[in-house]
This record gives sequence, structure tokens and C-alpha cells, in this order.
Amino acid sequence: MISAGNDIVALKAIDKERTCLPAFYSKFIIPAELLLHNPDQISFENFVWLLWSVKESAYKYLKRGDSDLVFAPHKLSITEIRVPDDLETTELNTDQSVGLFYAGTVSFKGAEHHFQSVLNDDFVGSIIKGRHSCWGIRRINATDYSSQSAAVRLFVLDKLKESLTLDSLEIKKHAAGYPVLYNGNEPIDIPISFSHHDRYIAYSFQIPN
Amino acid sequence: MDRKEILIELKKVLAPYTESKEMLEGINEQTDLIKDLKINSANLVDIIIDAEAQYNIEIDFDAAEKMYNVGNCIDVIADKINKTA
Repeated sequence: MISAGNDIVALKAIDKERTCLPAFYSKFIIPAELLLHNPDQISFENFVWLLWSVKESAYKYLKRGDSDLVFAPHKLSITEIRVPDDLETTELNTDQSVGLFYAGTVSFKGAEHHFQSVLNDDFVGSIIKGRHSCWGIRRINATDYSSQSAAVRLFVLDKLKESLTLDSLEIKKHAAGYPVLYNGNEPIDIPISFSHHDRYIAYSFQIPN
Repeated sequence: MDRKEILIELKKVLAPYTESKEMLEGINEQTDLIKDLKINSANLVDIIIDAEAQYNIEIDFDAAEKMYNVGNCIDVIADKINKTA
């Protein structure tokens, strides 16, 4: 299945104290995942939101193949987190300084999916990595939902227009809730995903072979 | 506590996480937390934690995954209240 899934969490907008309470993180992190935390590499609060963003990305990725799927983060199991030796950053479109990169594996019903994440003091962003994944992260000034929603659509369409010579690109929503790229009334076979939180917007898409 | 009373309290739980205040006033059992109330998914766990405190219940993994619309939230909360009564 060719799909796309991403997520972004604005770290200044979350409740740091609550994040570190077992009553909070145990709602979506299973005990085996806690063993993946390396305090020399990442603070616990950032680790919690890294895992959240990976699980949310995986859910979006899988939802495209199963419209009835519900978000059950404890069923998405992160089995590996590493700091990659070779950074594949060329597909990342951002004007933000990116601090740390992570990569790893998340599994669902026995199938493994690879993720990439970036983390700095302000955000953690993740994607499920396909063969030809592209992603972007941008900071915007507005924090209201409609502005975020409009900005992220513009962001991804601007990027797609660099390589697609189609006149009427637009994004519609599938009944299941995920975005679908259209040229006029014709759906385009490029799965896209986007996310926004507080002042950050992010997209990912995958170019088919 | 009947479903109407649970709904009234649920509005208080959801209020800090939605900017759609008009939509919140008019919610019904079909209202979707993300699609209709525009609640950011990063706040879904906050809502579960706040609901646990509001109704003095515990919401486990399996119950939490059902809480994507108002009707399902009420189902879960009513079930947990009944089990602790």
C-alpha cells in the first residue's frame, strides 16, 4: 500500500508537568516502549511526545488502507528508536532549525513500518517513511484552527506545484477524514497527510514509483 | 447519573480544548471530537485524564479508543460509573 502519514506536536503548547505523569503517558505508551527511552539522547517529556507523534503518523498512514480503523495508540507498538548515521534530510522542506533526527520502527498487527522524526525545543514532527516520501514543517503566526488548516493546505500545494504541471490542484477530504489530492475532479495518485498544532504546520506525501 | 447529566459535565471537560464554543453548546451524540469540535489530537489524552477526574472513574486502553465522538464518550463514562457504583 502506498500511503502517507505524519504528525507534529508543538512542544511549547503541551503541559510538560502532566506529560511526565504515569497516569498520562500510560494511556498510550506500553511498558515495553518505556524501555526504549535513553535519557542521554532525549528528555522523557520529549520522548513521550516523540512516541505520540510516531503513533499518530502510523495511524494516519494505515487509515488510508482501512477506513474503519480507529486510533488505538497502545496497539501501535514502537519497537526501535535510533539516531541514524546517515541522515536523509533532503526530502525535508523546512525553514526551521532542526536539532535532532530519529528513526525507527513501529509495528501494527505484525507489519513493520519505518518512521523518521525531527525534534528541537519547539516541536517534534514525524512521518512514516515510504520509498519516495517528502515532508515539510513550517512555523506560522496564527494559532486558530481555520488559519492552520488553510496554511497547511497552501504549504503542501506550493511544494507539489514545483513538480506537477497541473492547473487545478486542490485538496478534498475523504469521508473517512484523510485528505485526497485532486486535479479538478480527478483524484491524483499521490497520498498526502498533514498536521497542525499551535504555531506549527506539517505535511508529508509520497510519490508513487 | 443519566446520559443528559453526563453530557452536561462532558461539555465542561471538552471546553478548554475546543475553540468551537458554539458547536460545543449544540453538541449531540453524533458530534465528532476532532472533525466537528476541531479538537487537536494531541489533547485527546488530556480529555481522558480530565474525564477520569470529573467522574471519578478510570478509563483503560480499550475504552479510551472508543471515545472519538460524544455518544461513545457517554457510553464509556456511563459504563465506568455503573461499575464503580
